[in-house]
Amino acid sequence: MSAPFNDQLVAVLPRLRRFARGLTGSAVEADDLVQAACERALARAHQFQPGTRFDSWMFRIVQTVWIDQLRAREIRRTESEDEALGTGTDEPTRRVEARMALREVQAAMAVLPAEQRLALLLVTVEGLSYREAAEVAAVPVGTIMSRLARARVALLAKLGGGALRGSTEDAKAE
Amino acid sequence: MQRPSDETLIAYLDGELDEPDTLEVIRALACDERLQAHAERLNASARLIRAAYDDVLREPVPDRLIAAARGDRGLSALQRALAGLARWRLALGERPWWIGVPVAAALAGLVVGGGLGFIAGTEQTASLTAQQDLVTAGAGTNWLDSIAGYHKLFVKAGANDRALMDVPADATGDAARKAGQLPADFRLPNLKPWSLEFQGARLLVIDGRPATQLFYTTDNKNLGPLTFVEAESSKSDLAPTFDRREDLNILYWRHHGHAYALVGTTDIGYLWNIYNDIAWQLDAI
Repeated sequence: MSAPFNDQLVAVLPRLRRFARGLTGSAVEADDLVQAACERALARAHQFQPGTRFDSWMFRIVQTVWIDQLRAREIRRTESEDEALGTGTDEPTRRVEARMALREVQAAMAVLPAEQRLALLLVTVEGLSYREAAEVAAVPVGTIMSRLARARVALLAKLGGGALRGSTEDAKAE
Repeated sequence: MQRPSDETLIAYLDGELDEPDTLEVIRALACDERLQAHAERLNASARLIRAAYDDVLREPVPDRLIAAARGDRGLSALQRALAGLARWRLALGERPWWIGVPVAAALAGLVVGGGLGFIAGTEQTASLTAQQDLVTAGAGTNWLDSIAGYHKLFVKAGANDRALMDVPADATGDAARKAGQLPADFRLPNLKPWSLEFQGARLLVIDGRPATQLFYTTDNKNLGPLTFVEAESSKSDLAPTFDRREDLNILYWRHHGHAYALVGTTDIGYLWNIYNDIAWQLDAI
Protein backbone atom coordinates (compact mmCIF):
# COMPACT_ATOMS: atom_id res chain seq x y z
CA MET A 1 0.00 0.00 0.00
CA SER A 2 1.49 3.33 -0.99
CA ALA A 3 1.94 5.89 1.78
CA PRO A 4 0.14 8.66 -0.16
CA PHE A 5 -2.96 6.46 -0.38
CA ASN A 6 -3.00 5.91 3.38
CA ASP A 7 -2.32 9.57 3.98
CA GLN A 8 -5.19 10.62 1.77
CA LEU A 9 -7.43 8.22 3.62
CA VAL A 10 -6.38 9.62 7.00
CA ALA A 11 -6.82 13.16 5.74
CA VAL A 12 -10.37 12.57 4.58
CA LEU A 13 -11.47 10.76 7.76
CA PRO A 14 -13.13 13.80 9.39
CA ARG A 15 -15.27 14.38 6.32
CA LEU A 16 -16.10 10.69 6.01
CA ARG A 17 -17.25 10.73 9.63
CA ARG A 18 -19.44 13.76 8.96
CA PHE A 19 -20.90 12.13 5.87
CA ALA A 20 -21.52 8.86 7.70
CA ARG A 21 -23.04 10.70 10.66
CA GLY A 22 -25.52 12.28 8.31
CA LEU A 23 -26.36 8.96 6.69
CA THR A 24 -26.77 6.93 9.86
CA GLY A 25 -27.86 9.57 12.36
CA SER A 26 -25.70 7.85 14.96
CA ALA A 27 -22.15 8.56 16.05
CA VAL A 28 -21.32 4.92 16.82
CA GLU A 29 -22.88 3.54 13.65
CA ALA A 30 -21.17 6.26 11.63
CA ASP A 31 -17.72 5.32 12.92
CA ASP A 32 -18.44 1.63 12.32
CA LEU A 33 -19.44 2.54 8.79
CA VAL A 34 -16.29 4.60 8.19
CA GLN A 35 -14.12 1.81 9.55
CA ALA A 36 -15.75 -0.72 7.24
CA ALA A 37 -15.37 1.71 4.33
CA CYS A 38 -11.66 2.18 5.10
CA GLU A 39 -11.11 -1.54 5.12
CA ARG A 40 -12.92 -1.89 1.82
CA ALA A 41 -10.98 1.01 0.33
CA LEU A 42 -7.65 -0.51 1.32
CA ALA A 43 -8.69 -3.82 -0.22
CA ARG A 44 -9.66 -2.05 -3.44
CA ALA A 45 -6.99 0.62 -3.52
CA HIS A 46 -5.87 -0.59 -6.93
CA GLN A 47 -9.25 0.47 -8.32
CA PHE A 48 -8.72 4.12 -7.45
CA GLN A 49 -7.71 6.15 -10.48
CA PRO A 50 -5.03 8.75 -9.75
CA GLY A 51 -6.07 12.17 -10.91
CA THR A 52 -9.68 11.67 -9.88
CA ARG A 53 -11.19 12.99 -6.67
CA PHE A 54 -10.24 10.80 -3.75
CA ASP A 55 -12.97 12.17 -1.50
CA SER A 56 -15.68 11.35 -4.05
CA TRP A 57 -14.30 7.84 -4.40
CA MET A 58 -14.44 7.37 -0.64
CA PHE A 59 -17.95 8.85 -0.37
CA ARG A 60 -19.06 6.28 -2.89
CA ILE A 61 -17.52 3.47 -0.88
CA VAL A 62 -19.14 4.75 2.31
CA GLN A 63 -22.57 4.92 0.73
CA THR A 64 -22.11 1.48 -0.88
CA VAL A 65 -21.17 -0.07 2.45
CA TRP A 66 -24.08 1.76 4.06
CA ILE A 67 -26.53 0.38 1.50
CA ASP A 68 -25.08 -3.10 2.02
CA GLN A 69 -25.62 -2.73 5.75
CA LEU A 70 -29.16 -1.47 5.28
CA ARG A 71 -29.94 -4.46 3.15
CA ALA A 72 -28.34 -6.89 5.56
CA ARG A 73 -30.12 -5.75 8.66
CA GLU A 74 -32.67 -3.31 9.86
CA ILE A 75 -30.88 -0.39 11.34
CA ARG A 76 -32.26 0.79 14.61
CA ARG A 77 -30.90 3.95 16.00
CA THR A 78 -29.56 3.07 19.42
CA GLU A 79 -27.75 6.16 20.34
CA SER A 80 -29.10 9.61 20.82
CA GLU A 81 -27.21 12.42 19.19
CA ASP A 82 -27.60 14.46 22.36
CA GLU A 83 -24.32 13.19 23.72
CA ALA A 84 -22.46 13.73 20.46
CA LEU A 85 -23.74 17.27 20.29
CA GLY A 86 -22.25 17.89 23.72
CA THR A 87 -24.88 20.31 24.90
CA GLY A 88 -23.63 21.68 28.18
CA THR A 89 -25.72 23.28 30.88
CA ASP A 90 -23.16 26.02 31.40
CA GLU A 91 -23.23 27.27 27.82
CA PRO A 92 -24.63 30.70 27.18
CA THR A 93 -28.29 30.69 26.28
CA ARG A 94 -27.61 31.70 22.71
CA ARG A 95 -25.34 28.76 22.11
CA VAL A 96 -27.82 26.36 23.65
CA GLU A 97 -30.52 27.72 21.37
CA ALA A 98 -28.22 27.35 18.41
CA ARG A 99 -27.51 23.77 19.38
CA MET A 100 -31.21 23.07 19.65
CA ALA A 101 -31.73 24.49 16.18
CA LEU A 102 -29.00 22.27 14.78
CA ARG A 103 -30.49 19.27 16.55
CA GLU A 104 -33.81 20.14 14.96
CA VAL A 105 -32.12 20.10 11.56
CA GLN A 106 -30.55 16.72 12.25
CA ALA A 107 -33.89 15.33 13.36
CA ALA A 108 -35.52 16.65 10.20
CA MET A 109 -32.74 15.15 8.09
CA ALA A 110 -33.14 11.78 9.78
CA VAL A 111 -36.73 11.34 8.60
CA LEU A 112 -35.99 12.14 4.97
CA PRO A 113 -35.97 9.21 2.55
CA ALA A 114 -32.47 7.74 2.41
CA GLU A 115 -31.82 8.70 -1.21
CA GLN A 116 -32.82 12.31 -0.54
CA ARG A 117 -30.62 12.45 2.55
CA LEU A 118 -27.72 11.12 0.50
CA ALA A 119 -28.16 13.81 -2.17
CA LEU A 120 -28.41 16.50 0.48
CA LEU A 121 -25.28 15.34 2.28
CA LEU A 122 -23.21 15.07 -0.89
CA VAL A 123 -24.18 18.42 -2.37
CA THR A 124 -25.18 20.71 0.48
CA VAL A 125 -22.91 19.41 3.24
CA GLU A 126 -19.91 18.05 1.33
CA GLY A 127 -20.02 20.58 -1.48
CA LEU A 128 -19.88 18.17 -4.40
CA SER A 129 -21.22 19.32 -7.74
CA TYR A 130 -24.38 17.70 -9.06
CA ARG A 131 -22.31 15.71 -11.53
CA GLU A 132 -19.92 14.50 -8.84
CA ALA A 133 -22.81 13.62 -6.53
CA ALA A 134 -24.48 11.73 -9.34
CA GLU A 135 -21.31 9.69 -9.88
CA VAL A 136 -21.07 8.87 -6.18
CA ALA A 137 -24.73 7.87 -5.98
CA ALA A 138 -24.55 6.11 -9.36
CA VAL A 139 -27.64 7.89 -10.69
CA PRO A 140 -28.21 10.45 -13.47
CA VAL A 141 -27.62 14.14 -12.72
CA GLY A 142 -31.33 14.84 -13.18
CA THR A 143 -32.15 12.35 -10.44
CA ILE A 144 -29.78 14.07 -8.03
CA MET A 145 -31.34 17.39 -8.95
CA SER A 146 -34.88 16.24 -8.25
CA ARG A 147 -33.98 14.35 -5.07
CA LEU A 148 -32.14 17.37 -3.81
CA ALA A 149 -35.04 19.69 -4.55
CA ARG A 150 -37.52 17.40 -2.80
CA ALA A 151 -35.21 17.15 0.20
CA ARG A 152 -34.62 20.89 0.44
CA VAL A 153 -38.30 21.74 0.16
CA ALA A 154 -39.23 19.04 2.69
CA LEU A 155 -36.65 20.38 5.12
CA LEU A 156 -37.88 23.89 4.58
CA ALA A 157 -41.36 22.77 5.56
CA LYS A 158 -40.08 20.91 8.64
CA LEU A 159 -37.89 23.82 9.74
CA GLY A 160 -40.57 26.41 9.27
CA GLY A 161 -40.53 26.98 13.03
CA GLY A 162 -37.78 28.08 15.34
CA ALA A 163 -34.64 26.75 13.70
CA LEU A 164 -35.00 28.51 10.39
CA ARG A 165 -36.47 31.67 11.88
CA GLY A 166 -33.53 31.92 14.26
CA SER A 167 -31.06 31.36 11.46
CA THR A 168 -32.66 34.02 9.31
CA GLU A 169 -32.66 36.49 12.20
CA ASP A 170 -29.00 35.75 12.86
CA ALA A 171 -28.19 36.37 9.22
CA LYS A 172 -30.04 39.68 9.27
CA ALA A 173 -28.29 40.69 12.49
CA GLU A 174 -24.94 40.15 10.78
CA MET B 1 -42.63 35.67 -16.55
CA GLN B 2 -42.90 32.08 -15.43
CA ARG B 3 -41.90 31.34 -11.87
CA PRO B 4 -38.98 28.88 -11.83
CA SER B 5 -39.55 25.47 -10.29
CA ASP B 6 -37.99 24.60 -6.92
CA GLU B 7 -35.61 22.33 -8.77
CA THR B 8 -34.43 25.19 -10.97
CA LEU B 9 -34.28 27.70 -8.14
CA ILE B 10 -32.21 25.36 -5.95
CA ALA B 11 -29.92 24.55 -8.86
CA TYR B 12 -29.46 28.31 -9.34
CA LEU B 13 -28.62 28.76 -5.65
CA ASP B 14 -26.14 25.89 -5.92
CA GLY B 15 -24.49 27.49 -8.96
CA GLU B 16 -25.44 24.57 -11.19
CA LEU B 17 -27.36 26.36 -13.94
CA ASP B 18 -25.94 27.42 -17.26
CA GLU B 19 -25.86 31.10 -18.18
CA PRO B 20 -29.21 31.41 -19.98
CA ASP B 21 -31.09 29.63 -17.19
CA THR B 22 -29.24 31.65 -14.57
CA LEU B 23 -30.29 34.91 -16.22
CA GLU B 24 -33.86 33.71 -16.39
CA VAL B 25 -33.92 32.98 -12.65
CA ILE B 26 -32.30 36.33 -11.88
CA ARG B 27 -35.00 38.09 -13.88
CA ALA B 28 -37.72 36.14 -12.09
CA LEU B 29 -36.22 36.98 -8.70
CA ALA B 30 -35.97 40.66 -9.58
CA CYS B 31 -39.71 41.02 -10.01
CA ASP B 32 -41.05 38.59 -7.41
CA GLU B 33 -40.59 39.40 -3.73
CA ARG B 34 -42.18 36.15 -2.61
CA LEU B 35 -39.72 34.24 -4.74
CA GLN B 36 -36.87 36.27 -3.21
CA ALA B 37 -38.10 35.38 0.27
CA HIS B 38 -38.39 31.72 -0.72
CA ALA B 39 -34.82 31.76 -2.07
CA GLU B 40 -33.55 33.38 1.11
CA ARG B 41 -35.25 30.71 3.21
CA LEU B 42 -33.67 28.02 1.06
CA ASN B 43 -30.28 29.64 1.53
CA ALA B 44 -30.83 29.89 5.27
CA SER B 45 -31.82 26.23 5.47
CA ALA B 46 -28.70 25.25 3.53
CA ARG B 47 -26.55 27.14 6.05
CA LEU B 48 -28.30 25.32 8.86
CA ILE B 49 -27.83 21.94 7.21
CA ARG B 50 -24.10 22.55 6.84
CA ALA B 51 -23.80 23.83 10.41
CA ALA B 52 -25.67 20.83 11.78
CA TYR B 53 -22.75 18.54 10.95
CA ASP B 54 -19.78 20.86 11.36
CA ASP B 55 -19.09 19.71 14.90
CA VAL B 56 -18.10 16.30 13.57
CA LEU B 57 -15.14 17.86 11.78
CA ARG B 58 -13.84 19.28 15.06
CA GLU B 59 -14.06 15.99 16.95
CA PRO B 60 -10.86 14.00 17.35
CA VAL B 61 -10.84 11.07 14.97
CA PRO B 62 -10.95 7.81 16.98
CA ASP B 63 -7.74 5.78 16.99
CA ARG B 64 -9.48 2.77 15.52
CA LEU B 65 -10.36 4.73 12.39
CA ILE B 66 -6.84 6.05 11.95
CA ALA B 67 -5.58 2.52 12.40
CA ALA B 68 -8.12 1.25 9.89
CA ALA B 69 -7.06 3.92 7.39
CA ARG B 70 -3.40 3.13 7.83
CA GLY B 71 -3.72 -0.65 8.10
CA ASP B 72 -1.26 -2.69 10.15
CA ARG B 73 1.58 -0.52 8.96
CA GLY B 74 -0.07 2.50 10.55
CA LEU B 75 -0.46 0.74 13.88
CA SER B 76 3.17 -0.24 14.09
CA ALA B 77 4.21 3.25 13.08
CA LEU B 78 2.11 4.66 15.88
CA GLN B 79 3.64 2.34 18.43
CA ARG B 80 7.10 3.11 17.11
CA ALA B 81 6.39 6.82 17.25
CA LEU B 82 5.27 6.77 20.84
CA ALA B 83 8.27 4.69 21.85
CA GLY B 84 10.61 7.05 20.05
CA LEU B 85 9.07 10.15 21.53
CA ALA B 86 9.24 8.65 24.99
CA ARG B 87 12.97 8.11 24.49
CA TRP B 88 13.39 11.67 23.26
CA ARG B 89 11.46 12.96 26.25
CA LEU B 90 13.80 11.11 28.58
CA ALA B 91 16.80 12.62 26.81
CA LEU B 92 15.40 16.13 26.87
CA GLY B 93 14.14 15.76 30.41
CA GLU B 94 17.72 15.60 31.71
CA ARG B 95 18.87 18.78 30.11
CA PRO B 96 19.74 21.50 32.59
CA TRP B 97 18.45 24.43 30.56
CA TRP B 98 14.83 23.49 31.16
CA ILE B 99 15.24 25.07 34.55
CA GLY B 100 16.60 28.23 33.05
CA VAL B 101 14.04 28.61 30.33
CA PRO B 102 12.30 31.72 31.68
CA VAL B 103 15.65 33.41 32.33
CA ALA B 104 17.00 32.52 28.91
CA ALA B 105 13.83 33.73 27.28
CA ALA B 106 13.97 37.03 29.17
CA LEU B 107 17.61 37.55 28.22
CA ALA B 108 16.75 36.96 24.61
CA GLY B 109 14.17 39.68 24.82
CA LEU B 110 11.31 37.28 25.08
CA VAL B 111 9.14 36.60 28.07
CA VAL B 112 6.11 34.45 27.62
CA GLY B 113 3.72 33.54 30.38
CA GLY B 114 0.29 32.26 31.20
CA GLY B 115 -0.38 31.06 27.71
CA LEU B 116 -0.20 34.61 26.34
CA GLY B 117 2.79 36.06 24.64
CA PHE B 118 4.60 39.04 26.06
CA ILE B 119 7.46 40.36 24.06
CA ALA B 120 9.93 42.97 25.19
CA GLY B 121 12.38 44.48 22.77
CA THR B 122 14.24 47.73 22.43
CA GLU B 123 14.64 48.31 18.72
CA GLN B 124 11.68 46.36 17.49
CA THR B 125 9.12 47.35 20.04
CA ALA B 126 6.45 48.39 17.57
CA SER B 127 6.61 45.36 15.35
CA LEU B 128 6.97 42.99 18.25
CA THR B 129 4.01 44.57 19.97
CA ALA B 130 2.00 43.89 16.87
CA GLN B 131 3.22 40.32 16.93
CA GLN B 132 2.35 40.02 20.59
CA ASP B 133 -1.14 41.23 19.75
CA LEU B 134 -1.35 38.50 17.17
CA VAL B 135 -0.41 35.90 19.75
CA THR B 136 -2.78 37.35 22.28
CA ALA B 137 -5.60 37.26 19.80
CA GLY B 138 -4.92 33.64 18.97
CA ALA B 139 -4.29 32.42 22.48
CA GLY B 140 -6.57 31.56 25.32
CA THR B 141 -6.67 29.14 28.17
CA ASN B 142 -6.32 26.34 25.70
CA TRP B 143 -2.89 24.92 24.97
CA LEU B 144 -3.73 24.43 21.32
CA ASP B 145 -4.81 28.06 21.01
CA SER B 146 -1.45 29.08 22.42
CA ILE B 147 0.74 26.99 20.15
CA ALA B 148 -1.32 28.09 17.15
CA GLY B 149 -0.74 31.68 18.22
CA TYR B 150 3.01 31.15 18.62
CA HIS B 151 3.14 29.49 15.23
CA LYS B 152 1.53 32.57 13.71
CA LEU B 153 3.99 34.80 15.49
CA PHE B 154 6.90 32.83 14.04
CA VAL B 155 5.45 32.91 10.57
CA LYS B 156 4.78 36.63 10.77
CA ALA B 157 8.27 37.37 12.07
CA GLY B 158 9.91 35.24 9.39
CA ALA B 159 13.08 33.23 9.51
CA ASN B 160 15.35 36.26 9.48
CA ASP B 161 14.11 37.75 12.72
CA ARG B 162 16.90 36.49 14.96
CA ALA B 163 15.44 38.31 17.95
CA LEU B 164 12.88 35.55 18.15
CA MET B 165 15.39 32.70 18.01
CA ASP B 166 16.68 31.54 21.38
CA VAL B 167 18.61 28.76 19.66
CA PRO B 168 19.61 29.76 16.11
CA ALA B 169 19.81 27.06 13.47
CA ASP B 170 23.61 27.25 13.38
CA ALA B 171 23.88 26.91 17.16
CA THR B 172 22.74 23.33 17.47
CA GLY B 173 26.11 21.78 16.63
CA ASP B 174 28.76 20.21 18.84
CA ALA B 175 30.18 23.55 19.95
CA ALA B 176 26.84 24.65 21.30
CA ARG B 177 26.44 21.38 23.12
CA LYS B 178 29.91 21.62 24.61
CA ALA B 179 29.16 25.17 25.69
CA GLY B 180 26.11 23.93 27.52
CA GLN B 181 23.59 25.81 25.39
CA LEU B 182 22.04 22.52 24.42
CA PRO B 183 22.10 19.12 26.07
CA ALA B 184 24.82 16.79 24.75
CA ASP B 185 22.21 14.31 23.56
CA PHE B 186 19.98 16.87 21.88
CA ARG B 187 18.84 15.71 18.44
CA LEU B 188 17.15 17.86 15.90
CA PRO B 189 14.55 16.23 13.62
CA ASN B 190 15.92 16.48 10.09
CA LEU B 191 13.07 17.40 7.77
CA LYS B 192 15.20 18.28 4.73
CA PRO B 193 13.75 15.36 2.75
CA TRP B 194 10.49 17.28 3.03
CA SER B 195 12.30 20.43 1.86
CA LEU B 196 11.78 21.82 5.36
CA GLU B 197 14.76 23.84 6.56
CA PHE B 198 15.30 24.28 10.30
CA GLN B 199 15.53 27.98 11.15
CA GLY B 200 15.89 27.92 14.90
CA ALA B 201 14.11 27.27 18.14
CA ARG B 202 12.39 29.30 20.77
CA LEU B 203 12.15 28.45 24.42
CA LEU B 204 8.70 29.30 25.70
CA VAL B 205 6.47 28.91 28.67
CA ILE B 206 2.98 27.90 27.66
CA ASP B 207 0.30 27.65 30.31
CA GLY B 208 3.06 27.98 32.89
CA ARG B 209 5.13 25.08 31.59
CA PRO B 210 8.37 25.00 29.57
CA ALA B 211 8.04 24.37 25.88
CA THR B 212 10.32 24.29 22.87
CA GLN B 213 9.16 25.41 19.47
CA LEU B 214 11.21 24.36 16.45
CA PHE B 215 10.66 26.43 13.34
CA TYR B 216 10.98 25.04 9.80
CA THR B 217 10.46 26.82 6.50
CA THR B 218 10.24 25.70 2.89
CA ASP B 219 9.65 27.15 -0.56
CA ASN B 220 6.81 24.65 -0.92
CA LYS B 221 3.79 26.66 0.16
CA ASN B 222 1.69 23.50 0.29
CA LEU B 223 3.88 22.22 3.09
CA GLY B 224 5.29 24.98 5.21
CA PRO B 225 6.15 26.85 7.27
CA LEU B 226 5.84 24.33 10.05
CA THR B 227 6.50 24.31 13.78
CA PHE B 228 7.10 21.36 16.07
CA VAL B 229 6.35 21.94 19.74
CA GLU B 230 7.41 19.88 22.70
CA ALA B 231 6.21 20.87 26.15
CA GLU B 232 5.72 19.58 29.64
CA SER B 233 2.23 18.44 30.51
CA SER B 234 0.46 17.21 33.61
CA LYS B 235 -2.31 15.58 31.61
CA SER B 236 -2.73 11.90 30.88
CA ASP B 237 -1.40 10.31 27.70
CA LEU B 238 -3.23 11.03 24.49
CA ALA B 239 -2.94 9.31 21.12
CA PRO B 240 -2.11 11.50 18.11
CA THR B 241 -5.14 13.66 17.50
CA PHE B 242 -6.10 16.12 14.79
CA ASP B 243 -7.50 19.58 15.48
CA ARG B 244 -7.76 22.96 13.80
CA ARG B 245 -7.37 26.59 14.79
CA GLU B 246 -8.52 28.97 12.08
CA ASP B 247 -6.47 28.00 9.02
CA LEU B 248 -3.97 25.90 10.98
CA ASN B 249 -3.95 22.13 11.18
CA ILE B 250 -2.57 20.67 14.39
CA LEU B 251 -1.53 17.09 15.06
CA TYR B 252 -0.88 16.69 18.77
CA TRP B 253 -0.32 13.97 21.31
CA ARG B 254 0.77 13.51 24.90
CA HIS B 255 3.05 10.92 26.37
CA HIS B 256 4.50 10.50 29.86
CA GLY B 257 4.16 14.06 31.02
CA HIS B 258 4.99 15.72 27.74
CA ALA B 259 2.86 17.21 25.02
CA TYR B 260 3.89 17.36 21.37
CA ALA B 261 2.38 19.10 18.39
CA LEU B 262 2.98 19.70 14.71
CA VAL B 263 1.43 22.94 13.51
CA GLY B 264 1.01 24.26 9.99
CA THR B 265 -1.37 25.06 7.19
CA THR B 266 -0.42 21.89 5.36
CA ASP B 267 -3.05 19.17 5.18
CA ILE B 268 -3.35 16.44 7.77
CA GLY B 269 -1.95 13.80 5.41
CA TYR B 270 1.38 15.63 5.24
CA LEU B 271 1.35 16.16 9.00
CA TRP B 272 0.89 12.45 9.54
CA ASN B 273 3.79 11.64 7.25
CA ILE B 274 6.05 14.16 8.96
CA TYR B 275 4.95 12.89 12.33
CA ASN B 276 5.94 9.35 11.31
CA ASP B 277 9.25 10.61 9.97
CA ILE B 278 10.09 12.46 13.19
CA ALA B 279 9.14 9.41 15.21
CA TRP B 280 11.33 7.20 13.03
CA GLN B 281 14.31 9.56 13.37
CA LEU B 282 14.01 9.83 17.12
CA ASP B 283 13.52 6.10 17.44
CA ALA B 284 16.72 5.50 15.47
CA ILE B 285 18.78 7.68 17.79
